[in-house]
Amino acid sequence: MLWVDKYRPKSLDKVLVHEDIAQNLKKLVTEQDCPHLLFYGPSGSGKKTLIMALLRQMFGAGAEKVKVENKNWKVDAGSRTIDLELTTLSSTNHVELNPSDAGFQDRYVVQEIIKEMAKNRPIDTKGKKTFKVLVLNEVDKLSREAQHSLRRTMEKYSASCRLILCCDSSSKVTEAVRSRCLNIRVNAPKEDQIVKVLEFIGKKEGLQLPPGFAARIAEKSGRSLRRAILSFETCRVKQYPFTNNQVIPPMDWEEYVCEIAADIMKEQSPKRLFQVRGKLYELLVNCIPPEVILKRLLLELLKKLDSELKHEVCHWAAYYEHRMRLGQKAIFHIEAFVAKFMSIYKGFLIATFG
Amino acid sequence: MGKRATIVLSSSDDDDKDFAAESILKYFKKPKAGAASVPRTSSKGSKKARISSSRSHPGKTGNPFDEMKMFCEDFGEGFTGFKVPPGHKRDDKELWVDKYKPRSLLDLSVHKKKVEEVKLWLEERIITKNNNHYNHVLVISGQPGVGKSATVHTIASHLGATVYEWNTPTPTIWQEHLHTTNAGLRYMSKLDEFEIFVDKIRKYGLISSQKKPFIILIDDLPVTNGKISLARLQRCLNLLVQSVCIPTVILITDYGKTETSDFTSRCWEELQTSLQNAGACKIGFNPITVNSISKMLSKICKQEKLKLTSNQIDSIAKASGGDIRNAITSLQYYNLKGISDNSSHLDDGCCLTFGRDETLSLFHALGKFLHNKRETENMITSDTSLKEEFTRLPMKMDVPERVLGQAHGQARTIADFLHENVIDFVEEEGIDDAYVVASYLSDADTLLAGGRFSNYEAKNLIQSTAASVAVRGVMFGNRYPLSSRWHAIRRPSLWQVEQSQWRNKKEMVGQRCYYGYNGVSLSDLSVIATEWKPVSKWLSVGGNELLDLDHSQELCDDEDEIEEDW
Repeated sequence: MLWVDKYRPKSLDKVLVHEDIAQNLKKLVTEQDCPHLLFYGPSGSGKKTLIMALLRQMFGAGAEKVKVENKNWKVDAGSRTIDLELTTLSSTNHVELNPSDAGFQDRYVVQEIIKEMAKNRPIDTKGKKTFKVLVLNEVDKLSREAQHSLRRTMEKYSASCRLILCCDSSSKVTEAVRSRCLNIRVNAPKEDQIVKVLEFIGKKEGLQLPPGFAARIAEKSGRSLRRAILSFETCRVKQYPFTNNQVIPPMDWEEYVCEIAADIMKEQSPKRLFQVRGKLYELLVNCIPPEVILKRLLLELLKKLDSELKHEVCHWAAYYEHRMRLGQKAIFHIEAFVAKFMSIYKGFLIATFG
Repeated sequence: MGKRATIVLSSSDDDDKDFAAESILKYFKKPKAGAASVPRTSSKGSKKARISSSRSHPGKTGNPFDEMKMFCEDFGEGFTGFKVPPGHKRDDKELWVDKYKPRSLLDLSVHKKKVEEVKLWLEERIITKNNNHYNHVLVISGQPGVGKSATVHTIASHLGATVYEWNTPTPTIWQEHLHTTNAGLRYMSKLDEFEIFVDKIRKYGLISSQKKPFIILIDDLPVTNGKISLARLQRCLNLLVQSVCIPTVILITDYGKTETSDFTSRCWEELQTSLQNAGACKIGFNPITVNSISKMLSKICKQEKLKLTSNQIDSIAKASGGDIRNAITSLQYYNLKGISDNSSHLDDGCCLTFGRDETLSLFHALGKFLHNKRETENMITSDTSLKEEFTRLPMKMDVPERVLGQAHGQARTIADFLHENVIDFVEEEGIDDAYVVASYLSDADTLLAGGRFSNYEAKNLIQSTAASVAVRGVMFGNRYPLSSRWHAIRRPSLWQVEQSQWRNKKEMVGQRCYYGYNGVSLSDLSVIATEWKPVSKWLSVGGNELLDLDHSQELCDDEDEIEEDW
């Protein structure tokens, strides 16, 4: 088992980084009926961990006895029936699903499937009906229509089920949905918090940590705790005992982006642009989100850039990131950014060195 | 090839002999070439009985073969309305396509190798009766009019086999449907009917009293709409491939596969691959070469005693785009016109008044845009208000929008092709130009996605605007196009990328619960792609091993221990 999973706090009391949130959540479920919740925050900040701990707090260990189901749903939509396939994880008291998997049919998931789940409520030991918890992941990826239906669903079935929504950025969740939930912002952990966790794990595993080593990992992680623990473990596999100047292996795709950046800096020509396109395709095929690629590429380019160009380059990166969201095919926009960068950089080189 | 015309003959008087024979003709098209040689009356008795009973109670007869035929007969009922009086002379009015149908293997314009392949396949199954073959299904694919069915029919008659054909039921018109529902009849989709047909063939085969070998030909697969019905058709065909014991030929027509990446064309491709996976043998027919079409046309000219120059024949052949049926019809039509007015305009080659309207292929148009030919000398235009960097020499072609219209490519396709190929045409040092081009393509893509309009007209307008922006942007941005040399225009690799991306994504969605969280929760896709997968590669742990049942067992065991120390 990976360390990330092994040392994931199982209950709200044992959380190491967001103790305040955890305590509040605990109060919330013990004292009163819990409202709908919306967890948002950057990736690797601990949203899922909190949710899982919360579920355990609510339902006890039973929340971890889940079964994975690949269900086919037949949704009756007026004149036709729509077939949907969806993976769900469910225990007796909760169901977890990713409605955005259904693509543009996501609103049927939100409308019909949730309705169906809300209908059969579990009965507790005293014969009393309790509510069911639905965990919806990646809510920000839901279409506008789906979010609207979600709003209705939340109102209609609030007696029988509680929704826990989880997403990276709440700005893509409609106002209406946000106002019906208790919003919980889960910040990215601070670097010293990450160091604390890493040292804790090191102690558990009986590892000798050279001073400053954990800090380096934390710095490299971009304040993502998951990322930090994962790199920590890869470091352990690569070389132990640790040395202070040990390389912290980057993810393979990051290395690849780094390579692309080097290519761009080396030569600015249409031919090179074409080669870069091939490499970008490689990344896209592996489902690396285009925004992530663009961001990473910008960071790599900025590292090697003269400070007077930085502002302009950032501007264009932001411009094409926005374009990418408006447009259909990411490659058109990433490539336009690369071409723009090449053009700027070449002009700069000619101006300085003649 | 005018099949429908031949099917509908039917006699008005009920002379039993003719009736029996011809009603079969209605439902199973016989090999046209050898129509006379096929024993029409072979099992007359049984058929007669069947027909009399089938009218009222289909399904009572015991013989499954008959039953199947009767079943098909029901489909054919739609045709009975179109009766042609028997003995009607129509020599001179006959379509040349039927008249000059290939009668022997030599007549076929299809490439010899392909014919040989098909023949060999059929021979193996018919003549040698070698039952060791697992697969009895042959898939022939190709553009329309390349002689797929003609080949099968000709070879069948060469081998002396009878071709039984799945005869597509007539489509139900809406009014008709309303009428029949009132009468209490239930509507059956074509797909339903096809499924039943396949089912019967699989279960009973064709038990015929004839000694002749036979072949089943499925020409018109029912059109599917949407994933569900496609899956049904696929399932049904897979069953057919796995269990049928009679040589069966399925013809699949692919329409301009290279130029679109839309759903329907992908459907057919998917269907073909699934058929192949199920064990069917596949032969693809290429468009017929201009040479063999012209040969065929001049042969017809000789027989019809037409005087056409070889130039004219050539231009007809070229305009047909490898579709021989189209070429022959064009020739006939051309002949009809009497060639009275000006035969000169045919010599121009550019504006045939008949034949295909496709005066420019997509690639031709793309070539124009990409090569971006301009006048060489600077003809100073009136508006000098433009800065020099924005002026371009006049174009050496029609207005781009017009060329677009002639090529009738879709905006998305055009943009994708331009994006794929334009870099090759930008000169070595012109990174600035490359940027201008890329920025316009980005604009075009943004426009294409601008689907907030529910109004079709607005959508249409946006599409044309996007195409225009893409094309003009490419032409404007590329200031110094490379001197023209030969460039191959590539198919956008983006399409392939998107397909494999989609596949990978689907796979990840499936694995979602195996990555991280001990399977107690689902991971986000982006996290799987950017973190779980690379790390599991690092640690050389497969995704599945992250969640083994044993593991979660272990987890339960040492859980307490961890909890204590935490």
